[in-house]
Amino acid sequence: MSMEKVNDLVTRGKAKLVPAAVQEALDEGCEAGALLDTMIAAMDVVGENFKNGTIFVPEMLIAAKAMKKGVEVLKPHLASGASGALGKVIIGTVAGDLHDIGKNLVAMMIESAGFEVIDLGVDVPIENFLRTYEENPDTKIIACSALLTTTMPALQQTVAAINEASWRSKVKVMVGGAPITQEFADTIGADAYTPDAASAAKKAKELAA
Amino acid sequence: MLTKRQNFLETIRGGKPDRYVNQYEYLNIVMGTPFLAKYPVVAYGQENVVGAWGVTWTWPEGFPGGFPVHTPDKIVIKDIENWRDYIQEPDLNYTEEDWAPYVAMAEKIDRKEEYVTAILAPGIFEMCHHLLEIQNCLMAFYEYPDEMHELIDFLADWELRYAEQICKYLKPDAVFHHDDWGSQISTFISPEMFREFIKPAYEKIYGYFKSHGVEIIVHHSDSYAATLVPDMIDMGIDVWQGVMNTNNIPELIEKYGGKITFMGGIDSASVDRPDWTPKLVAAEVQKTCKNCGNKYFIPNLSQGLAVSTFPGVYEAVSAEIDKMSKEMF
Repeated sequence: MSMEKVNDLVTRGKAKLVPAAVQEALDEGCEAGALLDTMIAAMDVVGENFKNGTIFVPEMLIAAKAMKKGVEVLKPHLASGASGALGKVIIGTVAGDLHDIGKNLVAMMIESAGFEVIDLGVDVPIENFLRTYEENPDTKIIACSALLTTTMPALQQTVAAINEASWRSKVKVMVGGAPITQEFADTIGADAYTPDAASAAKKAKELAA
Repeated sequence: MLTKRQNFLETIRGGKPDRYVNQYEYLNIVMGTPFLAKYPVVAYGQENVVGAWGVTWTWPEGFPGGFPVHTPDKIVIKDIENWRDYIQEPDLNYTEEDWAPYVAMAEKIDRKEEYVTAILAPGIFEMCHHLLEIQNCLMAFYEYPDEMHELIDFLADWELRYAEQICKYLKPDAVFHHDDWGSQISTFISPEMFREFIKPAYEKIYGYFKSHGVEIIVHHSDSYAATLVPDMIDMGIDVWQGVMNTNNIPELIEKYGGKITFMGGIDSASVDRPDWTPKLVAAEVQKTCKNCGNKYFIPNLSQGLAVSTFPGVYEAVSAEIDKMSKEMF
């Protein structure tokens, strides 16, 4: 019952209620890892609902916030690194582009799926993507977005620079953003393109498996 | 040959237009008011310009428009529960003399040929996220609904006072109002939330304009917003400008034609790009015109003004629309 309650509260984005529900579940003897899994499952449902158009950005944001609050309570009870067990993802909007909400939604969904996210923000120069990977060589995925036709060349250049790096075979590259298509992703040599945040989280899990 | 204005009316009424309304040709926008002149507006290439309402703007080179800057220090409303403590209401005390240059601009327009058009941007929804930062704003609809209602009422009241002066001095025939309500695949908020928070403000604003001499309301949202069309009609919107192809425009025309007209269908992202060619533009315009027909539809780039990011694209689209007029009429 407690697990179901946590799942339901995360799905409905009840950030104020989730910490107490998680604590209650822990007090009743629920495993911290199982509670984390139920929250990840809740976010999977949120992502699917967003993808299907039955919920919208606010519902996704409050669900992610609720999960974050739950994870804060869980953290002391989890094995070190368990909340980011699927590995590291570096994410950013490419140089010259200031769009952040799409990238933030992808970051949230990927984090909620069990990755550790290194968010470089917006207007990220190529060298920042490269340097961050070199500082975090255990990174599984680099995700880059461009939201304008004018910044598609910057995305192309970013992916080209990653493709030329000596460590390229050890990492997967995902791309996205309003003007980006599968065809463009193929042309520039990215490993994956997804059209929305929920698909991005799903694809990230496939790529990291 | 019908005038631009007659041809527009035939198009939106399902009558006998003799050609396509070519993009923005029917709107002659008066690009200025004393309010717009008083407060700094970010220009291409500028950074950190503080405009009306205290919002900081940056317009990087290569971008189609400016961006509100939302680093923590630059968010205007830092705490929605105390929004009144943060808001800086722009001045609306302007004299007849202040309005005179803009009245002169309006007077030069031939109203028989084109609509004298007032432009208002940003809209109510955009103002909310410019002031609060978009994620804070979207979550506040859930977490602080009372405060969001108060803020929206405040913004709408301010705009109504501005509208009063616009109607008194410019006497516009049309209003072109920006407010982006979605991404290319979805609305930002649910239709239910939109009806609760945003729609009432526009019913007041557009209702005011319509009862004070404005004949045509053109609303810009270059996004998906198909699910909001019935609400647009209720609000008094005559033309939805910026309609993207993700909306299934032919289906919308079939369903709502006669109550609202759809202006767009040539997604800027598909042609206004660094690698554009006249051939690409021609293919998109032909496809769009053939799909959407010639009533209740105005072919147009989804961009919110008669411009393109890459030189020549807007003009190339216009030229192709002229060609399609010969084929489709």
